[in-house]
Amino acid sequence: MVKELVDMSTRERIHAIRDLPMSFEEKKSIRSQVLAFKSANQSPHFTGFRDFTENASVTLRRWGYSVRSARQTLQLWQGTMKEIGGRFGTSVLTYFMFLKWLLVFNVVSFLINFGFITIPLLVHDHTPNLPPNVNFRGLEILTGAGYFNYTVMYYGSYSNETLVGLGEYNLQLAYFFTISLYMVLCGVALIFSMAKSFKENYVLSDPASSSAWQILCSWDFSIVNERAITQRKNNLSVQLKESLSEGAQTEMLTRSEKMKHFGIHLGSWLLSTSLAFGCGSGIYFLCQTTDDSSWTPLQEAETLLVPFVVSLMNLVVPLFYSLFNKFEVYSNQRKQIYVLLVRNVILKISILSILCYYWMQVVAKKFSCWESMVGQALYRLVLFDFLFLMLGSFFGEFLRKWLLPNLGVPEFDVARNVFELIYAQTLVWIGIYFSPLLPVIQILKCFIFFYVKKVSLAQNCQPPRRTGRAAQMQTILIALLFFPSFVGALSIVAYTAWSLTPSKQCGPFRGLNNTFGAVGIWIDNLQQSSSSYWVIWIYHHVIRSEVFYFFLALIVIIIIYIFWQVTQGRKQLIVQLRQQIVN
Amino acid sequence: MGNKQTIFTDEQLDAYQDCTFFTRKEILRLHGRYHELAPHLVPMDYTNDPDCKLPLALIVNMPELKENPFRNRIVEAFSEDGMGNLSFNEFVDMFSVLSETAPRELKAIYAFKIYADFNVDNFLCKEDLEKTLNKLTKEELTPEEVDLVCEKTIEEADLDGDNKLSFADFENMISRAPDFLSTFHIRI
Repeated sequence: MVKELVDMSTRERIHAIRDLPMSFEEKKSIRSQVLAFKSANQSPHFTGFRDFTENASVTLRRWGYSVRSARQTLQLWQGTMKEIGGRFGTSVLTYFMFLKWLLVFNVVSFLINFGFITIPLLVHDHTPNLPPNVNFRGLEILTGAGYFNYTVMYYGSYSNETLVGLGEYNLQLAYFFTISLYMVLCGVALIFSMAKSFKENYVLSDPASSSAWQILCSWDFSIVNERAITQRKNNLSVQLKESLSEGAQTEMLTRSEKMKHFGIHLGSWLLSTSLAFGCGSGIYFLCQTTDDSSWTPLQEAETLLVPFVVSLMNLVVPLFYSLFNKFEVYSNQRKQIYVLLVRNVILKISILSILCYYWMQVVAKKFSCWESMVGQALYRLVLFDFLFLMLGSFFGEFLRKWLLPNLGVPEFDVARNVFELIYAQTLVWIGIYFSPLLPVIQILKCFIFFYVKKVSLAQNCQPPRRTGRAAQMQTILIALLFFPSFVGALSIVAYTAWSLTPSKQCGPFRGLNNTFGAVGIWIDNLQQSSSSYWVIWIYHHVIRSEVFYFFLALIVIIIIYIFWQVTQGRKQLIVQLRQQIVN
Repeated sequence: MGNKQTIFTDEQLDAYQDCTFFTRKEILRLHGRYHELAPHLVPMDYTNDPDCKLPLALIVNMPELKENPFRNRIVEAFSEDGMGNLSFNEFVDMFSVLSETAPRELKAIYAFKIYADFNVDNFLCKEDLEKTLNKLTKEELTPEEVDLVCEKTIEEADLDGDNKLSFADFENMISRAPDFLSTFHIRI
């Protein structure tokens, strides 16, 4: 084995030694044997060079280790996470880790936007050009309009000039490329974490109902709180007794019972989808009636009505869905959670798509500086979402403990809470194009939410009863974050950039036919100045040509098909091997 | 990284960082925790590799292990003499395997050691399962139920039909449980 280790590169060797199932003493002796072997075997020539490379590699490794240490000191909230994990277990901890991850996304977004877009503008012209009689009143914090309308918070205040200072800085192009860069970074990060999650957590069958799994794999070693451990032991006993009694009586449902169950399922699905669409159309009519551009205080307060109703629906309708869920009968609990999740997704998608349709089709054609209006609407939505979540947490968790103690201590519902976070992040992603500093509010939200949820958890909730689906749930939630949430936001921003006419009097793209025209103008300028031919060539033959994308899609489809066939083949191989072991 | 500490030599710290999943800071912190378990027994200077072992009773009193139903088995699995006395290297080893970054295969090997009675044989037989189940549920189940559950477990997980679970069976079950990596984890 020492021979094999000697032949590997340094990094592989370290990984291999770490993974050995031996005690530390034995690993240390193996390591020193390998190092002695290596140094004894090297040629006696070039001793100076050899010493130099050895010292360099040792120093490099030490430097890598100290970077790891430094990153650990920067980790936020380490102690709190340990405490929460110790009392509530790993599945509840996934909510807080998700929160921290979203916080990082938003901090990166804020830094990128602030650095590349806002700072150049502030340097160039840092006084907002207010019309004569607009001052700061308190209402702006809620409505986002009024005084805020003329600050760098919204699209409308960004100019389309080219700053000439140390070099030329084209604000128009900077805006376009910064937003695209941020979206691309987000997409890449999400795809990578989704793929990693799939790779680690993909299972071929659901083991969580078998007793073997319950005894041998389900105990959470990170819980250190005595009460929590006693509770877990009780839960486990209850689950084991349940699974024993389930095994004893395998229910054979009669045909009429099956029809009844099917009827209930169908009824609930119809009710929930019609609720979702009803909410959507209600919002649409509400938007149309509160549609005014004159700014008396009463009409400004009216603009608060739409976000209020949206957040109210987001809070109340899922409660109805849980109610329907209680009447339905499912064969296993996993299906129940998925159905609930799908219904909530349909609700949010219908509300958001109606709002976006209204903004893209009606607001864009009616108002002069429509991007700022959309930005303000999004700001109000984000703010009210935050207020209502706080209220919901207060009523759902704090008051329930005091006023309705006979309902039992609430469980911390990880899926629902993460879903709220995903919705909030979707709003921010849609809003980045219209209001570049919107991530600031999301950062504040994440911070405050961490502490509120931590306190609420400690005081009011008990750990979830059914353990064991944390990894799969995490994979699904990350997939939800990518697919409807990020892709939806990206498509809305892309549609805005491609098809809608920017407003003529404000914003960095004023006067152009569509946002993408800014790049076209830049390419034309480059052509005229006859430099950087490769950029122009790439633009005309790669980005603007449809044939390129067609071939790219074709190649990707072929690769996916090949991988799929390989997976199928491997699955068959596993079945065959298993047969051989049994026989 | 610049701060002079006299507990370990640099080569020792390099060896620790290469052979375990901890960084230099964590190793120093672990030494602090080991030291505070028995301040008069554990020397502050480890540069000449002192031979100091702490008994089982002291180790299982740590807050991370105190309430764990498997605390004795965990410490015994990592002690060389099998009685639960841990030197500092074995202490680091234990928390390294139980840390977040340890790979699944390594954790599976030690989990098997913890659940099975490795002094007797290398299999998880029915008595081992019964003992594990009793630790996990603390006399809530009747003896018949315990018997039934253990039989069901062996039935589900045993692939080669010898009525006990070998390491291969155990590892096969672990590979289908993605949560195992995050639940077999003690934060220190």
